[in-house]
Amino acid sequence: MSVIAPNFKLSGFIQSLLDNIFWILLLVVLVGVPAIFMILFVIPLPVIDGELLTPFLAFSALVNPTRLLPIIHAFLTTDIFRVMAFPGFGFAALLAASVIFVERKMMAKIQLRVGPFYCGKVEGILQLMGDGLKLISKEIIIPAKADKPIFWAAPVLFVATAAAFVALIPVAPGWVVADIDLGLLGVFAVIGFFPIITILSAWSANSKYPFIGGIRALFQMVSFEIPLILSLLGVVMLTGTLNLSEISASQSSFPWIIFLPIGAIVFFITMLAELERIPFDLPEAESEIVAGWLTELSGMMYGLVQLGSYLKLYAFAALFVVLFLGGWNGPMIVPAFPEQIITEGIEMGPIVLTIDGLGPLLHETITQEMLNGTLWFVLKTAGVIFFIILPRGVFPRVRVDLLLNLGWTKLIGLCFINIFIALGLLYAGVLGPGGLQ
Amino acid sequence: MVGELAGNYSTVVLMFAFGIAAMAPALVISRMISPRKRSNPVKFLPMECGQVPSGEGRTHFMMQYYPYILMFVVFDVMAIFLYAWGSSLLELPKSATLPMMGFLAIMFGAMAFALYQSGRRRIW
Repeated sequence: MSVIAPNFKLSGFIQSLLDNIFWILLLVVLVGVPAIFMILFVIPLPVIDGELLTPFLAFSALVNPTRLLPIIHAFLTTDIFRVMAFPGFGFAALLAASVIFVERKMMAKIQLRVGPFYCGKVEGILQLMGDGLKLISKEIIIPAKADKPIFWAAPVLFVATAAAFVALIPVAPGWVVADIDLGLLGVFAVIGFFPIITILSAWSANSKYPFIGGIRALFQMVSFEIPLILSLLGVVMLTGTLNLSEISASQSSFPWIIFLPIGAIVFFITMLAELERIPFDLPEAESEIVAGWLTELSGMMYGLVQLGSYLKLYAFAALFVVLFLGGWNGPMIVPAFPEQIITEGIEMGPIVLTIDGLGPLLHETITQEMLNGTLWFVLKTAGVIFFIILPRGVFPRVRVDLLLNLGWTKLIGLCFINIFIALGLLYAGVLGPGGLQ
Repeated sequence: MVGELAGNYSTVVLMFAFGIAAMAPALVISRMISPRKRSNPVKFLPMECGQVPSGEGRTHFMMQYYPYILMFVVFDVMAIFLYAWGSSLLELPKSATLPMMGFLAIMFGAMAFALYQSGRRRIW
């Protein structure tokens, strides 16, 4: 039970707050603003709205919203914003973090516990932040005789590879980090790196449990890669493209799960295996081999691997949504932004506030379609993630030979049936040219 | 043309680099602020559930599941070949499907034979 420190005084707390604000303001005025000015004079600034951005203009933009909006608009369309924030790393990391919290609460409810409860006043909402602080302040212990460079690099590479996977996922029309024609093959290429990183991390630790776990992870990921690749062939045959944005756009009238349910089920099962989740969490089987290939990872290294695996979970769920559930398509439920505010401004008694840059921003970048698409995409992804984390509370773990047998015989057989269903739908004229689409 | 095609992938590489650039500082900060107490001989030993570890950490692994790795090398490439056919299926004439059916039959037969051989524990 958390209690307030006994010698706590509200006046002292407020005084410390005011002190901090004073020092921050002083430092910003004396050091921060001159530093920003010097940097702005040195670097070349872009042309925005037909006007070269000078340092003076940039500063006046900071206090004037009508000047700031075009700069924000120009920033929103850059690659660096896409990589860092919206369809890229920031968005995915936020979703991944919320998945960790929801999973812990959901497992607790299934097992009749309360789960994270005390950290943060409302239902342990700050538990994740507390865990992060704990992990970052823990000592990283590396076993003797470990291959140190590889052992240090593996968690970072794991997160970076998961981020590269996220880069290929289209979130809304036009909102994707890497819009490439061979997007699906790019996904397969990125997925192929995960077993390598896992086995490198396991091998470099020079310890028995990580090594056994790494070998298991290698077998499992490698075996399920072929059903994974074959189960998506049906969708590619029906759409005739490998570009994920075009596949998503092709499902405006109906999602492919209606016609290819077998492919969707096979892809979901292989997804669970690739993500090392129950019932296929043999590489991390805690009752047999301590923590599998994560045994020797301590402190922030473990935290990074967890972040990477949840980024990977988000990316796989998003891939399922894009390929089978129609991606961003859905009925328009986001209300349109009132046109009056853009054209005439906001009327507040005697004065009228007009915002000049709002029109281009809302008509070109943050459109109604984009908001609606993102909303549907997030809703569908959350639904798929729910079904991914649900088996953890329900199913036991399977044996390794049963797992390999399942992957190599049953799932590949179902994949071939799926391919023939897609072929039949095309040649019977149900779908494709002359058919429904 | 080739450069343009490769340039499309630059954002994937950029995302990879951003992942490294954003996450490597977490390890560095952790190394700076975490306590590093004096060591003793037991602290840096590999984890073996409290026992003193014995033998090599990198042991031999079982050959029992090795055929699956060999099969992966072959059938992964074949599965990717199917994508070249599947993505251009709408433009191809229907007669072009027949050779593919032959390819699928060979692939399926070969996979069944490989699975039968991998199931024979005696030879592995």
